[in-house]
Amino acid sequence: MNFSLYKEMMRVNLKGIMNYAMGSAFYMLFMIWLYPGLGDSTAAIDELVKAMPEGVGNAFGLNSGFASAEAFISGEYYGLILVLILSIVCVQLSTQLIARLVDRGSMAYLLATPTTRRKVAFTQGMVLVTSLFIILAVTLLAGFAGKSWFLGTKYEFDMSRFTQLNTVAFMLFFAIGGLCFLVSCACNDEKKALGISGAVTFGFFTLDLLGKISDKLDVLRYFTLFSFYRPAHIVQGTAEVTQICLWLLLIGLAAFAAGIQIFRRRDLPL
Amino acid sequence: MLKVEGLSKRFANGRGIDNVSFTVHQGEVFGFLGPNGAGKSTTIRHIMGFMQPDRGSVTIGGLDAWKGQGTVQKLTGYLPGEINFIDGMTGTSFLDFMTSMQGVKDTSKRNRLIQRLQFDAATPIRKMSKGMKQKVGIVAAFMHSPKLIILDEPTSGLDPLMQRVFIELVLEEKAAGTTFLMSSHSFQEIERTCDRAAIIKDGRIVTVKNIHELQSMQRKLFEVVFATQEDAGRFAASGLQVESHEGNRVRIAIQGDYAAFTQELAQYAVRSIDISTQNLEDIFMNYYDRDREVNAE
Repeated sequence: MNFSLYKEMMRVNLKGIMNYAMGSAFYMLFMIWLYPGLGDSTAAIDELVKAMPEGVGNAFGLNSGFASAEAFISGEYYGLILVLILSIVCVQLSTQLIARLVDRGSMAYLLATPTTRRKVAFTQGMVLVTSLFIILAVTLLAGFAGKSWFLGTKYEFDMSRFTQLNTVAFMLFFAIGGLCFLVSCACNDEKKALGISGAVTFGFFTLDLLGKISDKLDVLRYFTLFSFYRPAHIVQGTAEVTQICLWLLLIGLAAFAAGIQIFRRRDLPL
Repeated sequence: MLKVEGLSKRFANGRGIDNVSFTVHQGEVFGFLGPNGAGKSTTIRHIMGFMQPDRGSVTIGGLDAWKGQGTVQKLTGYLPGEINFIDGMTGTSFLDFMTSMQGVKDTSKRNRLIQRLQFDAATPIRKMSKGMKQKVGIVAAFMHSPKLIILDEPTSGLDPLMQRVFIELVLEEKAAGTTFLMSSHSFQEIERTCDRAAIIKDGRIVTVKNIHELQSMQRKLFEVVFATQEDAGRFAASGLQVESHEGNRVRIAIQGDYAAFTQELAQYAVRSIDISTQNLEDIFMNYYDRDREVNAE
C-alpha cells in the first residue's frame, strides 16, 4: 500500500464517487418517503404483482412483497437500480485506475518512483474497494436517516436485515469489482478493458435476469455471480448471509490477487 | 552506473531490439540516437523495468532493473517520451504528488527548477501546452536529485530559448556528478551535451562513439546560391560531392573536410549559404548504408 498514491487517487476520484453516493442516498430517501403512501394499500399492490407473470415479478424482485419497508426497498431499489449504479462504478473505476494509466502512459510516472508494481496495483485496488464501500455506506446511512424521518415506529423497517442487504451488496460488488480490476490489470488498452469488464459485468447481470424469468433457463444462474445476491431472500431472512458473503469474499480476493500478480509480471508499453 | 548487456526483446509484430549492449559511466552524459521506431523507447522501457527482456539484462548501480523494481527507482529520474499526467491535476499538485511518491522532503530544488524553466505551475495540466507539460516533466525528473536521469526525447516541444536553459541544466547536473542517458532522433539535440553516443538502427546498436568522432563523421548539406549560373557550374565541377545542381543553386555534401569547401567557395561570388536540416539517416549515411559491415567489425 502506498499512502501518497492512495490519497491522491481518492482525491481525484472522490467527487465522482460522492455524486454516485449522493444520488443513491437521495433515491433511497425518496423510496422511503414514498413508502407510507403505499404502505396503507400494500395488499392491493401485492395483488397487482401476483397478477403479473411470475417470471417478471421474479426478475425485478417484486415478489418480496410490499408488507414491510425493507421488502419494498429491496424490491424497488436493491433489485435493479443500485445494482446498475454499482456495476457502472465497478467497470468505469477499475478501468480508470489501471488500464487508463497504462494506456495513456501516466503509469510511467508512478513506476518511475521508488514503489513496486505490487504496491501500485494493491493501492489502486484499495481505491476501488473504498469507493464501493463509500457508496454503500452512504446508502445505508440514508436508509437509517429515512427511517427515523419518514417512518418512525408506525411502519416496519427491520434495520438488521437492511444492514445485511447492504453487506451482501457490498460483497457482491467486491467480487465483481475484483473481476473488473483483473481485466483492467491485464489490458494495455483502456477501451478494451472497459469493453471486456463491461461485457462480463452486464453479461452476468443478463444471465441472472434470464435465469430468474424462466425456469427453463435456470441453469444459466450457475454462470453468474449475481445468483449469490437475492435481495428478496435476504429481507425475508431466508438467505444464508454468512456463507454467501464468504464465497463472494473469496472470489473477490482471488480476483484482486490474480490482477495484482498479472500486473506485476507483464510487460508494460509505457 | 548503467550497464545494458545483450538486451533482446522480440514483439509479436516481429519488431523489437536485438543484442543491445552499452555502458554509461558515472558522471557521463550518454546520447542514444536513432530514428523513430529504431528501438530507443523499447530499450528505455527495459532500463526503467517496465518490460522483462527475452535475453540479456540491464543493471543500474549494480541492481537488476527488472528484479530490483522499487529499489532501482531510488537512483533514477525519468522523463517519458510521451507526456501524459493523471487527469484533474495542476502542475503544482502533480509535482507535490511526485515529491511524496519519491519520498523527498526538500522542495527547494523543485522551486529553483520551476523558476529556471519559467512556467506557472498552478495551471491545470489539461490546459497546458506541450512545451509546458514537458517542463513539468523535466522538473519531476530532476527535482529529487537522482544519480541517473533518463530522458526520452527531452527537448521536443521546447522553444529554442528553453532548449538552451535545458542544456545548461544538464551541464550543471553533470558537473555535480549526475549520469544521464538521453535519447533523441536529432543529432543537434545531443551534440551539445553528450560525451558519447550510441546509434541504433532497426533494433541493433550500430556504433558507440565519442561525440567528437561523431561530429567529424557527420555529413552536412550546404545549399549555396551563386551570383551567376556559370559560377555554379564551375563550382559543381570542382570535385566536391554535389547533391544537386539547379540553375545557380548547388547543394553540396561535406563530411569533416570543411577547408576544401571554404577554399573552393572563396573563389566565387556567393549570394547566400544555407545549411539544410537533415534527418539522422542523412547525417550518418555511412552507418545507415554500411550497416552490415559495421556489425561485422
